[in-house]
Amino acid sequence: MTEDYSSVSLDDALAKAGPAAASFARLWERLWRQDHIPPELLELCRLTLARLHDDAVELAAASPAGVTVARARRDAVIAGAAFDADGFSEGDRAVLLFAEYYWTDPQSITDAVADDVKAHFGEPGLVFLIEALGCLDGRIRAARCLRAMSAHLPAKEPAYVG
Amino acid sequence: MSAKPRATGPATQTGNVIRDSAMGLVPETVDEIIALNGHVWRDSLVPPTLLEIIRLRNARTVNCVFCKSVRYDVARADGLTEDRAELVADGYQASALAPREKAALALADAYLGFPAGMDADAARQVAAEFSDAEVASMLVALMCFNFTSRTAVSIGGMPEDPLPIMEVSVAIATS
Repeated sequence: MTEDYSSVSLDDALAKAGPAAASFARLWERLWRQDHIPPELLELCRLTLARLHDDAVELAAASPAGVTVARARRDAVIAGAAFDADGFSEGDRAVLLFAEYYWTDPQSITDAVADDVKAHFGEPGLVFLIEALGCLDGRIRAARCLRAMSAHLPAKEPAYVG
Repeated sequence: MSAKPRATGPATQTGNVIRDSAMGLVPETVDEIIALNGHVWRDSLVPPTLLEIIRLRNARTVNCVFCKSVRYDVARADGLTEDRAELVADGYQASALAPREKAALALADAYLGFPAGMDADAARQVAAEFSDAEVASMLVALMCFNFTSRTAVSIGGMPEDPLPIMEVSVAIATS
């Protein structure tokens, strides 16, 4: 059976790695409990990365616990239309544009794009956004690897005792 | 790549390169990021040599000048020579690296790819050499390495490439 791992549901699969996995799970939890970038906007970043990865499982994943996104904003981001749609502030657009540059290649991020994020969220906000994007993108990538391994390899037979 | 840092550190000199960097501006995450680095190196289910090999593959892919120049002491103590470290370059599958090292790099490339993911041959290669727990351990390490190197590049202020190879203690990022 192919497991539908996503960035949101990855931690059980990684838990067998021990303390490092637990630490990464705690870092994930902290992303959604901070004052730098609104969690709803962070969730829109996750959906932006999912769209850029063309990852249907990630796009279909439920939002992290406690995070609610307005349907129209979610649909606009999934459609790649956030920059033309109503309902997005200049700060939202600055963050979502930064996320697209980050996904393409961090070396491609221009000073103007970074300055725009800083203008709305300050230097700590920019640093937090960079960390959060790394965490989100990494979890999407790890989930894709686990899904691929699950799809390509035969399921292990359960061991019965007695 | 921006030569000018887009954020500056909190002006602390704790001796921890993460806490003293711009990442120190985010108190909600910095302690856990330091803890994560420590767990990745201290509690790994694969040896330091394998961790260093996938870290260097990540460093090459992300093109982080600092990450490419660093060699961690624990990996060298575990037997990773500079000649061997250079074998992580493209074409590693035909190199003198051991099958387990090549499988670890195949997992790293699957993670780092555009798109990320792996084909059936790579999945079999990885599964033939590593348990599920070891794969999970390496994926967490890859997330940590990729996250920190991409953070360094995104914040900017990278020196000219290349820097000289320098051996450092993992303690600078983990304690």
